[in-house]
Amino acid sequence: MSDEKPRTARTRARRGTKLRRRLSGLLALGVALVAVGGLYTVFTPAPEQAIAADPAIVREGQQIYDNSCITCHGTNLQGVQGRGPSLIGVGEASVYYQVSTGRMPLAAQGAAAERKPPRFDEAQIDALGAFVQANGGGPIAPVVEDGEQLRGEDLGRGGELFRLNCASCHNFTGRGGALSQGKFAPNLDPASERQIYAAMLSGPANMPTFADSQLSPEEKRDIIGYIKSVGAANPAKNPGGAELGGFGPVPEGALAFFVGLAALIGISLWIGSRQ
Amino acid sequence: MSTRPADHGANAPSQPDPTEATPRIPSDDELARMSTDDLVRLGNRIDDLEVVSDRERFPVPGTRAEKRAERQVALWFIWATLSGVAFLVAFIAWPWEYRGPGEEGGLLFSLYTPVIGFTFGFAVFAVGMGVIAYSKKLLPEDLTIQQRHDGRSQEIDRATAAARLVQTGRQSGITRRKMIYRSVGAAGGVLTLGALVAAFGGLVKNPWKDGKNSELLVTGWHSENGERVYMRRDTGEPEEVALVRPGDLEPGSIETVYPFKESERGNPEELAKVLHSSDSPVMLIRLRPNVTVIKRAGQEDFNYGTLFAYTKICSHMGCPTSLYEDQTNRILCPCHQSQFQANEYAKPVFGPAARPLAQLPIAVDDQGYLYARSDFIEPVGPAFWERNS
Repeated sequence: MSDEKPRTARTRARRGTKLRRRLSGLLALGVALVAVGGLYTVFTPAPEQAIAADPAIVREGQQIYDNSCITCHGTNLQGVQGRGPSLIGVGEASVYYQVSTGRMPLAAQGAAAERKPPRFDEAQIDALGAFVQANGGGPIAPVVEDGEQLRGEDLGRGGELFRLNCASCHNFTGRGGALSQGKFAPNLDPASERQIYAAMLSGPANMPTFADSQLSPEEKRDIIGYIKSVGAANPAKNPGGAELGGFGPVPEGALAFFVGLAALIGISLWIGSRQ
Repeated sequence: MSTRPADHGANAPSQPDPTEATPRIPSDDELARMSTDDLVRLGNRIDDLEVVSDRERFPVPGTRAEKRAERQVALWFIWATLSGVAFLVAFIAWPWEYRGPGEEGGLLFSLYTPVIGFTFGFAVFAVGMGVIAYSKKLLPEDLTIQQRHDGRSQEIDRATAAARLVQTGRQSGITRRKMIYRSVGAAGGVLTLGALVAAFGGLVKNPWKDGKNSELLVTGWHSENGERVYMRRDTGEPEEVALVRPGDLEPGSIETVYPFKESERGNPEELAKVLHSSDSPVMLIRLRPNVTVIKRAGQEDFNYGTLFAYTKICSHMGCPTSLYEDQTNRILCPCHQSQFQANEYAKPVFGPAARPLAQLPIAVDDQGYLYARSDFIEPVGPAFWERNS
């Protein structure tokens, strides 16, 4: 027994060291994994729409969707024939554009959805966007504190790109214009910078999509800068006086013809009149 | 003067009578003796002028009312002087060098043109107003009626004038001197021809001198030596070469693309020129995946997947038809509302256009860049006589 004891003790001790080695190995691996994971979370850039990951917000968005959107866009965002298109893959940008401009929820089916006061507040729109983003993904409009951050500096390039890509429908100063069968491209004055950005990314209604591979984010910002520089909100855009709707030669010529000619005739009559 | 009698100066009476139906022309002596008023009256009689009323505005000179009127008129000319001086000062001293809106001095610069325009314009306007005010406030208020004479001149005037012309022609002997007559004719004819050539010669040219490569038949996508023509986007920097890959376009999008040949690289003039050439712009359209496509016979392989390339030049009058609706897949021309169906070989579905938009055959090279396999197989834009499609 006495002989046996130390052996067992030695064996136990040996077993103990083996266990300890194994445990410490596991521990080290655990520490390393936690460290790598921690570093990963620290150094990974936060996704642009952080709220998209928050399940509570997605649930809130689903609630709003179930109340206000489900009739036309279907239970699984798949769309309803003859009522509304599928929302799978349209992304947060599309939701933000459509809901924040008041176009959705739609008041009535028609040629074009018209801008109206939005039904939901910012938080609700974000929740709805998060829900749609979580179910199919799609483009996300950049989140900024202040819309002015989306205005580019190079207005010359912005104007060139605007005339090339946008002016055919929206007019060269963003006044909007007619399309086929009652549809129209809207005036860009009331649109915020983020709404314009979201519209370029998502291509609402009949507007084509302008992906970042086609118009880079910098080019989009320059275009927004140009739109805002010629829009109604810029007080310095018309140093020459009244813009007459910004449509160019037609109203200007009509005014010169009717008002100017009438004034000239009046003055001639006055010069030739007898007191 | 047609009523003037021919017997003037025969036997002159002492004084012309202004009440006569036909005024008698006085002799030189009588004219020298007449007063200014008499002369005006005689002139009026000869010209059939009748002064109905002739009232001085200020019969008594030097009244306060006249002085006031005088000051009012002078005030306009003083305004004109001041405004003219202001124009000179502004033209020389106002900051005229460009400042953008919002920059320091931007407002002052933006007022440069209005200020010099207003000061100069007001000076001219005030001079005009001064003259009008003078005639309205100070000149006598008169009412004068002049008779208008209808019909042609009297027979005697016509006959004598014609005889004078005929006699001049006969005396010059030009009809008899054939050599001068003909050389004058030749000189006149050649000069007229020269003037016509100078005016219209530039318009005469043969549009078909290059045969099947004539301007109307080929576009910037044509490659003479077989060099590959790539698709290039306009980034707002005319010298930048940005080629297009199929993945750059999302489903339901459009991009305007221009031809690019490797031999143009580094040639800023050529690179900028192609962006402004009138027949080169092409709409590269990526249809949505669930769209039904109908292709035109003979153009079945012109597209690349869902990418279709159509000319931007309308087949009706040559306007740029770039209003693309990505849900209805229609391309709308803003000039006359022609509509083309993008998923059905851009055939016209509405409006005055009668022919589809020409389609460009496209493919992708081993680097992944889009290029045109050839030029359009038909001329782009409106019809012309020699067109056979």
